[in-house]
Amino acid sequence: MNFEYSEKDENFRIEVREWLKATLPNYLKEKVKKYQRLTKEDYELFMNNLSEKGWLAWHWPEEYGGTGWNAIEKHIFEEEIVKASAPRIVPFGVNMLGPVLIEFGSEEQKNYYLPRILNNEDWWAQGYSEPGAGSDLASLKTTAIDKGDHYLVNGQKTWTTLGHHADMIFCLVKTDLNVKPQLGISFLLIDMKSPGVEVKPIITLDGEHEVNEVWFTDVKVPKKNLVGKENEGWTYAKYLLTFERTGIAGVPNSKSALNHLKMVSRKSMKNGKPLIDDPIFSSEVAELEIDLLAMEIFNLRTVSAAAEGKAPGMESSLLKIKGTLVRQKTTELLRKALGPQALPYLPEQFDEGWNEMPIGPEYAGPIAKQYFNMRKISIYGGSNEIQKNIVAKASFGL
Amino acid sequence: MDFSLSEERKMLQETVGRFFGNNYKDIRKRGEYLKMTDGFSRDFWKESSNLGVINGLVSPAFGGLGGSGEDICIIFELIGKSLCIEPFLSSGLLSSTILSSLNNPKTDLINQIIEGKLLMSFAHMEMNNRYEDHLVETKAKLEKETWKLNGSKSFVINGDSADKVIISARIEGKVNDKEGIGLFLVDNNNINNRPYNTIDGYRSTEMSFENINGELLCKDNEALECIIKTNSAGALALSAEAVGIMQVCFDLTLDYLKTRKQFGKSIGAFQSIQHRMVDMMLEIEQVRSAVMLASSTFESNSTTRDKNVSAAKNLVGRVGKLIAEESIQLHGGIAMTWEYSVAHYAKRLIMIDHLMGDADYHRDRFKLLSSI
Repeated sequence: MNFEYSEKDENFRIEVREWLKATLPNYLKEKVKKYQRLTKEDYELFMNNLSEKGWLAWHWPEEYGGTGWNAIEKHIFEEEIVKASAPRIVPFGVNMLGPVLIEFGSEEQKNYYLPRILNNEDWWAQGYSEPGAGSDLASLKTTAIDKGDHYLVNGQKTWTTLGHHADMIFCLVKTDLNVKPQLGISFLLIDMKSPGVEVKPIITLDGEHEVNEVWFTDVKVPKKNLVGKENEGWTYAKYLLTFERTGIAGVPNSKSALNHLKMVSRKSMKNGKPLIDDPIFSSEVAELEIDLLAMEIFNLRTVSAAAEGKAPGMESSLLKIKGTLVRQKTTELLRKALGPQALPYLPEQFDEGWNEMPIGPEYAGPIAKQYFNMRKISIYGGSNEIQKNIVAKASFGL
Repeated sequence: MDFSLSEERKMLQETVGRFFGNNYKDIRKRGEYLKMTDGFSRDFWKESSNLGVINGLVSPAFGGLGGSGEDICIIFELIGKSLCIEPFLSSGLLSSTILSSLNNPKTDLINQIIEGKLLMSFAHMEMNNRYEDHLVETKAKLEKETWKLNGSKSFVINGDSADKVIISARIEGKVNDKEGIGLFLVDNNNINNRPYNTIDGYRSTEMSFENINGELLCKDNEALECIIKTNSAGALALSAEAVGIMQVCFDLTLDYLKTRKQFGKSIGAFQSIQHRMVDMMLEIEQVRSAVMLASSTFESNSTTRDKNVSAAKNLVGRVGKLIAEESIQLHGGIAMTWEYSVAHYAKRLIMIDHLMGDADYHRDRFKLLSSI
């Protein structure tokens, strides 16, 4: 056993770190650190930089313009992005649709869409969930009726993250209503500028606009926008959902949140002493750190198996569950650390250029908001309950 | 980065695993061993020595063939799987760790332990010193160039059958001073022993002694560091043992869920039960990961070593309770019986948290070592 990174890996880490230092503007770093709202341009700036460097499609095989990195290099890359306070890479085009097109797309689709994703020309959104189809995704109701040279799409998608910026959306739609749900689904690429597409914001409990409803009313979609075969979309959807994601545990994010927590609990006072000196509070922090330490090794074990070509199976589900719980625990302790300082809610504080006096310490502003926002992570991407079903089905033989 | 075992270690794992498996197939065997005079099987101990199992706990520098954190964990995980009760911890690991950590190591004694000719125990715990490395009430004084020991030692695992005992005693200072502790080698014939069985099926003893002779092995800083290192080695070994036990508890429970039928189907078909099994599986992987980290950094500087051991032992305490209690609950009534093995695994798993520092103790030590 040897838990050290190889010299090659360490050099790679330095290369990524140096590049991020040289290309990531300070204002953007500050915005990410302060949890300020990111504009479409903020995301695009970072993704264009990555694209220019050839690092945007870091999951793709080399022949399609990807990096060809192994799982350990991908893991290092993800860690460094978080450490550098860079915006997240909007995953819908490059991480989700890309691999599906590479595997199942027609030559024409590959030739047209893949370079556009690589060059960051289209902003993609994901059209999976519907009001009546969440965990039971196959029960979706949006229909695409065959009209000869095109489909006529009617229905509604929801929880569409950053859909208000999107140029394109990939959707699961019903193309056969007379078979069991999984057998009548197709995978369709839809232009958001098509007549009949309407995006309505959903304001989440933290007061933010990140997700949307997308409505389709008699939207004409050309037949060439069908990915793979009609009625086989469920296979592609599952492929996308299970596509290897080394970062599923969110270890780097939790590590940086834990450091933040330590900083805040050194500054917050209880009975005239720093909160971190309170034995009960510090015990919670310590056990969280221990959980995270163990999870980091669990994650590396999985990453290293993936680097050797072993497909991660239920490990990704286990890591997703634990990763979300650990991350949520950091936001919970941060909230507790603030005491009454968690109460003030100044939405304008998260706009770029806000320079008024904060109420209480500046770091206090986003903490309660983040806590509520992070409730989502155990719900999306297959809720933790669904992950448990997956593990039980795959490995218990019950 | 490489998380796999070397070929040599895989072989060690296979050989020792097969040996333990064959001898401890039936949980009733363990009960029989415990009823023997020494509270374990001398024959099995001798065979373990012949096979090189004790060797595996000792570094080549002192005549062994292993002794690294990884070796210790491989062997103790297997001990956990079979619930083996021979004195691997007291003689094989704790005593040999002290003897090898001395500025003047006692290689001759270590060799006798490896050969199965000598049994030793480390008597550090006292009735009221809980898990502390430095809280020592037992007294040592020098009389005409001979060290005389007075006091009592508690919960000395396999202490009744030991030929020699290493006793921690206070040479000077107050009960909780870090300075002034000495480690002494004592002949067990001079000690009053009150042996008993523990609730998890091990042999232990209460020791008391008045004015007995002791040979000073080390004192002050050297002694304290020796105790800290030895207790860390023990905590690491017990953590690995817990991993083995947890896996058995999980496997037995999963098997049972398939065979036990209620309401016309196997109880494993119920989602509420499946989800609890996933929680168990996940936490076992967490513990396994923490133990791997602690084992691979056991040869590092003492801060890293002790910090990672404490992380592992804290998690073992927390997760051990979950696994023990859930294994019993998901089995239902059958797990409440003496006859069925899961009860014995659960008892050992819980009592591991009462040895070499519990979850609270190691959480607090982790805090100190990582400056939280």
